[in-house]
Amino acid sequence: MYIPRSILILFIIIYLLFLLSVDWINQSGGAWYRPFLVGFLIIAIAGWTHREQDSDEL
Amino acid sequence: MNYDITTVILLGSGYLALLFGIAFITDRGWIPQAVVRHPVVYVLALGVFASVWAYYTAVGNALRDGYGYLAHSIGISLAFLFSPLLLKPLLNLTRTYQLSSLADLIAFRYRSPWAGTVTTLVTLIGVTPLIALQIRAVADTADILSPAASQGLLAVGFCVVITVFSILFGTSRRAGRTRHDGLVMAIAFESLVKLVAFLAVGAFAVVGGFGGLDEMQQWLHSQPRLLDSLQNTNYFSSFHIMALMFFTAAVAMPHMFYATFNESNGQRSLSVASWGLPLYLLLMSLPVLPILWAGLQSGSLVQVEYLPVVIGVEYGKPFLTLIAYIGGMSATSGLIIVLTLALSNMCLNHLILPFYQPTARDDIYKWLLWKRRILITALIWAGFLFHYLPDVKISIQLIGIVAFSAGLQFLPGIIAILYWPNGNTRGFLAGLGAGVFVWLVFLMLPIFAAADPETMTELNWSRIAIVSLLLNSILFVLVSLASETSDEERSSADICTLDTIKRRKRSGLVAKSPAEFIKSLSKPLGEKTATREVMQALQDLSIKIDDRRPYALRRLRGRLEANLSGLLGPSIARELIDGYLPYSLVSQHGSADLNMIEGRIEAYRSNLSGMAAELDSLRRYHRQVLLDLPLGVCSLSSDDEIVMWNQAMERFTGINSTEILGLNIVDLKEPWLSLFTNFIDEDSNHSFKHYFELNGQKKSVNLHKAIIEDTTAAGSPHEGMIMLLEDITETEILEAGLSHSERLASIGRLAAGVAHEIGNPITGIACLAQTIRDEYHDDELNKLARQIIEQTDRTSKILQSLVSFAHAGTSNPQYANAPVVIAECMEEAKTLISLDKKSKDLHFQLDCDPNAVIRGDSQRLLQVLINLINNARDACQHNGNISLQATVAGKQVRITVTDDGIGIPAAIRDRVFDPFFTTKEAGEGTGLGLSLVFSIVEDLDGDVDIISPVDKDRGGGTQVILRFPCYHEEPESAQ
Repeated sequence: MYIPRSILILFIIIYLLFLLSVDWINQSGGAWYRPFLVGFLIIAIAGWTHREQDSDEL
Repeated sequence: MNYDITTVILLGSGYLALLFGIAFITDRGWIPQAVVRHPVVYVLALGVFASVWAYYTAVGNALRDGYGYLAHSIGISLAFLFSPLLLKPLLNLTRTYQLSSLADLIAFRYRSPWAGTVTTLVTLIGVTPLIALQIRAVADTADILSPAASQGLLAVGFCVVITVFSILFGTSRRAGRTRHDGLVMAIAFESLVKLVAFLAVGAFAVVGGFGGLDEMQQWLHSQPRLLDSLQNTNYFSSFHIMALMFFTAAVAMPHMFYATFNESNGQRSLSVASWGLPLYLLLMSLPVLPILWAGLQSGSLVQVEYLPVVIGVEYGKPFLTLIAYIGGMSATSGLIIVLTLALSNMCLNHLILPFYQPTARDDIYKWLLWKRRILITALIWAGFLFHYLPDVKISIQLIGIVAFSAGLQFLPGIIAILYWPNGNTRGFLAGLGAGVFVWLVFLMLPIFAAADPETMTELNWSRIAIVSLLLNSILFVLVSLASETSDEERSSADICTLDTIKRRKRSGLVAKSPAEFIKSLSKPLGEKTATREVMQALQDLSIKIDDRRPYALRRLRGRLEANLSGLLGPSIARELIDGYLPYSLVSQHGSADLNMIEGRIEAYRSNLSGMAAELDSLRRYHRQVLLDLPLGVCSLSSDDEIVMWNQAMERFTGINSTEILGLNIVDLKEPWLSLFTNFIDEDSNHSFKHYFELNGQKKSVNLHKAIIEDTTAAGSPHEGMIMLLEDITETEILEAGLSHSERLASIGRLAAGVAHEIGNPITGIACLAQTIRDEYHDDELNKLARQIIEQTDRTSKILQSLVSFAHAGTSNPQYANAPVVIAECMEEAKTLISLDKKSKDLHFQLDCDPNAVIRGDSQRLLQVLINLINNARDACQHNGNISLQATVAGKQVRITVTDDGIGIPAAIRDRVFDPFFTTKEAGEGTGLGLSLVFSIVEDLDGDVDIISPVDKDRGGGTQVILRFPCYHEEPESAQ
């Protein structure tokens, strides 16, 4: 099974971010939009990993 | 704040009319293609995923589950963030094989019409609640805006309008084949409206509802129940299964499949969507919490899901209410249009066509179009009926869950398409059957049976979904492993599975040309449709109508199946193609089709890394070595199909590799057919000196062959044969020329020896004759003596010429720049030529200016003249005339050698000075004569021209013109 390296990196980053941010998101007194900040960060990283993966048109 | 029902209806209808206008001007080409095909438009079109669930239901979910409402966005986003693992391979498959729905994909992968039919049935049952959900949302929100109006009438009115627009949007042209640019633009516009409307309502909720972000945060801290639901969101309970449900929905839900794969512009658009759609969904999720909290703060008693519309009413902002209503209308209408369009294709391909097909006399395209329109109408009204059947108090959240959990049942089958080639039809049907049974009994039927809405709310849907999925997966694996997989299924699994590059063995087709394809397909499709489809496939592949190569015909067959699959579904398409365009031989699974394998490796090349990339580089290097080899290389498959034809072979045969690859060896033209087939039949692997004629020229080649052993399987038949062709034509001519030169040199040496030996007695005879002349005074005797002396002088002169010519190749540098009197050279050349018995019948005419003198080596000029006269003699018939002229014109000496022979054909006139070019019989000429003339004349600072024919009327005769600078004696002082 072939997994592009960039996707593997993205997978690991998302997993680590999820583990690290759960407590921060649920912290008492924290801003309600914290999950969205994490979401934007993940999307930015994803935009970078998908930047030039269009060369395999069949 | 109530609105007049007419206003509500006009607003909804006007908005749909605007969408239709956008679709119309797009289809007319009034919007630039750069805009229509832009990846951002595709991303916005994918916004159809954010339906009522994201617009209304999310608010209710946020109240119940805290951040758990994000499971919807996260599930779909994960599918797109990791698109290279699932969506991109599926996009390749659907585009290559024209698969327009999940049922098409399943039927294609599992090679079973039943798999497609069952998939369609389950989808139909599963998504009907989803259509009902949209209708209900529109009816409910219209009821909020205009409570006086009948909700039932509003729903009916909406269904009528949406039916008309769905038909106009989706079936105005041939479906399943082309991208609906108008529809895509309209859906993209809807998504934009939906997003802007939702963000506007959210922004108002923050600013208008609370006065700012800080104030909202402070209010939140005074709401312990809300804070608790946010801070104690359980990410490990229903959140997981909800995310998985929407992850699957990205492929399993018909509208999502349609938007993702059918309307895609390719991998680049999908790459942009891989982060663009998650961004869109995140933005759609952002206002949910502020809207919820603002609604709760206002004390609204309306169902919490409809707070986006109610906020405007509660805070006295009618314009905001209308914006929110239009946003909701966008969410519902977009989904219904795309969903019914996609579902109508599925129903047509898998529920109707397998049992009822149009006859060849019908216009198939029109027939399909009308069936699709009828199906769209039926589906929308089935949704309407479902909207009425269940108890109206059931939450729209639960209806959505029921619909999306049906899609979850396809997850094992979808994963197996790409990653588990051992999965088969029986396993898929068994697993799906069990999963759907649990879903039907414990989730779907209770909706109909439940009288108490509380019971339904407490229904633990996530456990039921997990149990159904587990049962489905286990049965799928067990039954697949326990049952036999057919060759067809294996073959199809190979095509779909990412790690497998095995392909069907090459097999010949019964139909031997595109014309025969049309003839065969005319039986089921009618001549007009068959011609149109075959011509379309030929155009797609850039294959000519007269192409008969097996490789091209196999590609054409595959393309036809793919195109018909887009039109009729894969099951019917395969049935038609297998039935009317069968293979002539039984296909065997496991043999490699090198072209296919190479194509696939090339396609994935940029993804290769590490050892795989190294191996690929090695493969390319070895292939390039074969292609660039200076010997002709022709590789044959085990069934004698040509799989390699390198550049040297192209140059030698004049046949381009693109014309020949895929052709059977027996389809070659002469002389190659006899040459190769005879050689293949020979026992020996090497065959030397084959002579044949090519384009009027004699060619000679050496041939070598070797069997290509199959190294992957012991005892299996060979993989084919490789043949090498060595062109030895020039080598042969060179050898002949060298041999001839050697012979001439021997004769020259012999002639010089003989001349020397004869010279001595001749000198003796001349001395005796002089003695007689000087010592005897008899007049008669003196006369005889003088005649003897004259004849011996002549003989000596001839002998001297022979000796000089024999030594011509070793001319003395001392004489290289000596004055050469042309008249003497011409006389000597004539003398030498006259010695040849072939020249006895010729008539020579010499006309030489005595002042014609050039600078050079007389022996080399003599060789030039002899070569030219020899050629002139060979071109003449008996009693031919050869004229030698030398004139002085200004500073040039002009020498012409003219004959009245057959002349030189125009086709070879440019090649007569080429070394080894000859038209004489083998052994009679070396092809070096004129080449030598050209070379010597250039050395003497001259030039040479040929005029042929000389006699324009008769068409014969050749004149060779030589021009040299005149000789001028240099003054002594110059030395």
